[in-house]
Amino acid sequence: MSAAQVEVLLQTLIAGLLLGGLYALIGIGMTIIMGVMKIINLAHGELMMVAMYIAYWLFALFHIDPYLSVFVAAPVLFLLGVGLQKFLITPVLKVDSILPENQVILTVGIGMVLANMATLFFKSDYRSVPVDYASKAFYLTDYWKDAPIELSLSFPWSVSFLIALIITALLWFFLTKTDTGKSVRATAQDLHAALLMGVNVNRMRMLSFGLGAGLVGAAGCLFIPIYYLYPALGGQFTLIAFVITILGGLGSTVGAIIGGLILGIFESMTATYMGMGWAPVGRFVIFVAALIFLPGGVASLLRKKRLGR
Amino acid sequence: MKRFSLVMALAFLLSLAVAGAYAAEPLTLIIPLPLTGSQAKFGEMEKRSYEIAKDEINAKGGIKGRKVILEFEDSQGKPEISRAIAEKVIDVKKQPVIFGDYSSSSSKAIAAVAEERKVPYLVVTGAADDITQQKYKYVFRMNPSNAYYASGLMSFLKEVVKPKSIAIVYESSDFGTSGAEDMVKQAGRSGMKVLVKEKYEKGAVDFKPILSKVKAANPDVIYMVSYVMDAALLMRQIKELRIDAKLFAGGAAGFALPEFVDNAKDASEYVVTATLWSPQVKYPGAKEFAEKYKKLYGDYPSYHGAEAYSALYIIKNAIERAKSMKPEDIRAAMKATNMTTAFGPVKFEDKEGYQNQNFMDTLVLQVIKGNHETIWPLKYASQKYVYPIPKWRERR
Repeated sequence: MSAAQVEVLLQTLIAGLLLGGLYALIGIGMTIIMGVMKIINLAHGELMMVAMYIAYWLFALFHIDPYLSVFVAAPVLFLLGVGLQKFLITPVLKVDSILPENQVILTVGIGMVLANMATLFFKSDYRSVPVDYASKAFYLTDYWKDAPIELSLSFPWSVSFLIALIITALLWFFLTKTDTGKSVRATAQDLHAALLMGVNVNRMRMLSFGLGAGLVGAAGCLFIPIYYLYPALGGQFTLIAFVITILGGLGSTVGAIIGGLILGIFESMTATYMGMGWAPVGRFVIFVAALIFLPGGVASLLRKKRLGR
Repeated sequence: MKRFSLVMALAFLLSLAVAGAYAAEPLTLIIPLPLTGSQAKFGEMEKRSYEIAKDEINAKGGIKGRKVILEFEDSQGKPEISRAIAEKVIDVKKQPVIFGDYSSSSSKAIAAVAEERKVPYLVVTGAADDITQQKYKYVFRMNPSNAYYASGLMSFLKEVVKPKSIAIVYESSDFGTSGAEDMVKQAGRSGMKVLVKEKYEKGAVDFKPILSKVKAANPDVIYMVSYVMDAALLMRQIKELRIDAKLFAGGAAGFALPEFVDNAKDASEYVVTATLWSPQVKYPGAKEFAEKYKKLYGDYPSYHGAEAYSALYIIKNAIERAKSMKPEDIRAAMKATNMTTAFGPVKFEDKEGYQNQNFMDTLVLQVIKGNHETIWPLKYASQKYVYPIPKWRERR
C-alpha cells in the first residue's frame, strides 16, 4: 500500500468512528425504549428534529452555543417523552385491539404530527447553525512536520463524539449503579417479575421513554453543528436508529453502542471503497444480515462471552 | 320603500359594473409545486414569484381581460403525486395549458400526461436532458437543459483555468446524474481526464470518505452537482481535509443560492458556479423583479424564482396570441413564442436532438468576499474573477 492509500484508509476509519459514535447515541435512545416498552419508537428521528429546532432557536435568538443547549434540549425532550408516554401511549396500551402493536402505529402518527407542525411553524426552509468552528480541524502535519501522510480531525465532529461518549458513560452509570436504573433494567428483563418485586412499572415506562427521548435530544444538539436541519429530516435518522437497534440486539445498550460504531465504520468503508451511492445499500445489507445470521444482535454474542447485558 | 329598492337596484348595477372590469369569468390556473417535503424551499420561492407575476398582470387588466387566479397543488416532490395532479387539472378542470412543478422527475411525469392528453405543458425548472428529447409535441421547456447549464462554466474553464483533470461528485438524483454525465462528455471533448466520478445519496452526513479519495487522486478541478445544504457540507469538509484543487466548481442548483454562502461561510470563498440567472443580470425586468421579491420576502430569489415569474408571462403571451382557448391553438401559439422575459430570451426551438427547447447563455458566478459576483461571460461580469485561488493553508 502506498502512502496515499494508507492516508485514505486511515481518514476513512477516523470518519467512520466519529460518525459511529454519534449514531450510537441515537440508537441507544431507541434501544432503551425498545427494551422497556417492547415497541419500536418510530417517532425517534422526529424527536431529534424537535431538539435540533430547540438548539437552532437558542442559537438564532440568544447566541447559545449548540453544545450548551444539550442542557436545555435534553431535559425538554425528556419531559416531552414522559408526556407522550403518559398521555398517549399508556392509554393505547390498555386498549385491546386487533393489531397487537398499535402503539407502534401510534408512534408513526406522533412522528407525522411533529414533522408537519415543524413545517407549519418554521416553514420547510433548510437551516443550520453557522458556528465559527464549523470547519475547523486539527492536522497531523501541524504537530508532526515531516509526517508522510496528512490526516485531519474535525473539531466539531471530535467534540460531538466526546460529548456522546460522556453521555453514554453517564447513562451506563445510571443504569448499573443507581436503584432507579436497576429498576429500569429489571422492567426491561421481566415486566411481571419486576412488578412482583415492587417496581412501579408504569413509572419506569415513563422514565425510559423520557430517557430515550432525552438521549436523542442530546444527539440532535450534537448533530446540528456538523449537519443541517429541516422538518422532514426525522425519517432518515429513525431508520438509522432502527438498524442499530436490530444490529445491537433489541434492547441492549452495550449492543447499541457497538452496533452504532459498526454501522458508522461500515458506511464510511462502503463510501470509500464502493462509492457513496452504495452507503444506504450497505446499511440494509447489514440490517438483513443481522436478522438472518445474528437474530439476537451483538447482544447475543456478548451474552455468550459473559460480558454482561 | 320605493327609494330603498331603487338604491338596491343601483348598488346591484354598480357591483355588476365593477365585476365587468374583468370581462367574463376569471381565469383559474392550477400549478403543481412541492410545497412540503425536502424540496419545499424551492416550491415556496416559486409560489411567491408566480404570485408577484400574477399581481402585476392583474393590475394591468389580466390575461385577455380576464382576472388571473392561481391555485397551488402540493406535489410533495413526488412524481406519482405530480402525475395525479396533472390528470386532475387536465381531465377534471379542463385547463387548456399546464405549467410548473419543480424537480426533473416530477416534470417528466407531468410531461407524459400532457403529451397523452394533447395539452401543452411548459416545463419551468426541470433540467434533465431527456424531458425535451422524447419527440413530445406538447412539451415546452423555458430553462436550458442540464447539458447547457454548464456551457458558460466550460468556456471559463477552457479560457482561464485550462485544467487537465477533473473529479466529479454528484447527487444520485435525476438532476445530479444527468449533470455529471454531461460533464463527463464535455470533459472528454476538451481533453480533461475524469479521475473520480462519485455519487452520493442526498442528505448524507459525512462526505469525508469520498473526499479523501478525491484528495488522493489530486484533480485540477472538483466539480459538484448538489443542492444547497449538501453543497455547504461538501465545501466545509473540503476545507477540513485541505483539498487543494485549482478550482472548486458547482453545477448550478445549490451553489448559486445565498444560503450556500451563509452556511459554508469562509469555506465558500472563491467557489465558482454555473447559473442561469442572477439578480444583477441585464435582462429587462430582472432587476425590478429581484428588488420587488426582496422587499416582500427579505431575500433575493435564485434563478428558480425568475423562472417561475417569467413562466406566467410566457403563458400570458401564448394565450393572448392563441386563436382560441383550445389546447391545440395554445400549443401553436407557444411554438411561435419569441419574447424576452426577466429570465432571458425565450424561443422554443428544435435542434441538437431537442424539441421545443429554449437555448440561452448561462452565467458563471464566483463567491468573492462572501458575495456571489457574476464573472463570466465577461460582457455580463460584475467583478473580475479571482484566479488562481489561494491554498487552504495560506487562507486566513
